[in-house]
Amino acid sequence: MTRPLKLVISGPVGAGKTTFVQTLSETEVIATEAVPSEDIGKPSTTVAFDYGTLRLEDQELHLYGTPGQDRFDFMWDVLAQDALGLVMLVGGHKPRDFPAARGILEYITARHQLPFVLAVTRQDQPGVWRPEDLALYVQLPPHQVIGIDATNRASAATALVRLLEHLPARHDQDVTLLT
Amino acid sequence: MTSTMSKQEVLNATLSTLRANLPELKGVLVATADGLPIAQTMSAGTDANRVAAMAATALGLGKRIGDTVGSGVLTEMSVSGTDGMVFFYAAGRGVLAVVAPAGMNLGLLMMEARDAATAVSSVL
Ligand SMILES: Nc1nc2c(ncn2[C@@H]2O[C@H](COP(=O)(O)OP(=O)(O)OP(=O)(O)O)[C@@H](O)[C@H]2O)c(=O)[nH]1
Ligand SMILES: [Mg+2]
Repeated sequence: MTRPLKLVISGPVGAGKTTFVQTLSETEVIATEAVPSEDIGKPSTTVAFDYGTLRLEDQELHLYGTPGQDRFDFMWDVLAQDALGLVMLVGGHKPRDFPAARGILEYITARHQLPFVLAVTRQDQPGVWRPEDLALYVQLPPHQVIGIDATNRASAATALVRLLEHLPARHDQDVTLLT
Repeated sequence: MTSTMSKQEVLNATLSTLRANLPELKGVLVATADGLPIAQTMSAGTDANRVAAMAATALGLGKRIGDTVGSGVLTEMSVSGTDGMVFFYAAGRGVLAVVAPAGMNLGLLMMEARDAATAVSSVL
């Protein structure tokens, strides 16, 4: 058995972080939702984190979703601590949030060395940004940007599969030490 | 007092009363459940926006911890250190944060802070 991989799911408000964790988790999700006092187009927003777990490709994954507002930047930092990878979500329907996504990405990667993938949500909807266009726009290699429907398990899982491909090969020294 | 005062006036009056009754306090703040400050008397050098966001985070986390250990509806969450403490009280749709120095009379603090939390929840 290898050790669980801690992965962080981040992105701007409404990108679909909580949805993503809820769609993928095989255990009951711990969520910390509060009623928004600003109009953000949905009835709740994350104030601490989302936590869920799943097995994928024989790996135990622990997913930590962050809040999206800048005022919660301390949580981005807390949750990225000791994480092994990052899924950055952006809503394909909300291009005006792309700069906010970049801000979060820069905040986290400046403090933690984390491989990441950028996943554009809402691919099940018409008229949204497609991953290949976003990759061009943010100047990332195409394989690092994927499109998903965060409400669909198989689709959301492709973001994790892609992230796992970007992780450095895991050695089993830790495990040997433990056994 | 609620009938004649605006929500903001009630919040400000509540914080003033709390500070007057407990002058040792280092700061008092009311935030929305999603972490925006709506009334505050924090001492200079403490970022009220940050405390407000953290108050929401603390309460959100406190609720989940409470669920896990079966402690019922969350009333309060606290952090204590060698040099001080902060208490976060659930107050209706908001949160009251009370920052205190080390060595304060906790019984008195609890009593006053709970009264303040009740006043806050009457308008939030
Ligand atoms: N159709 C569709 N809806 C989505 C998708 N991703 C998210 N949503 C919806 O968009 C909303 C996103 O809400 P959340 O998952 O709470 O977003 P979040 O990123 O956690 O937001 P904050 O916690 O407020 O920062 C929900 O209503 C989801 O159902 C998607 O890929 N397709
Ligand atoms: Mg969320």
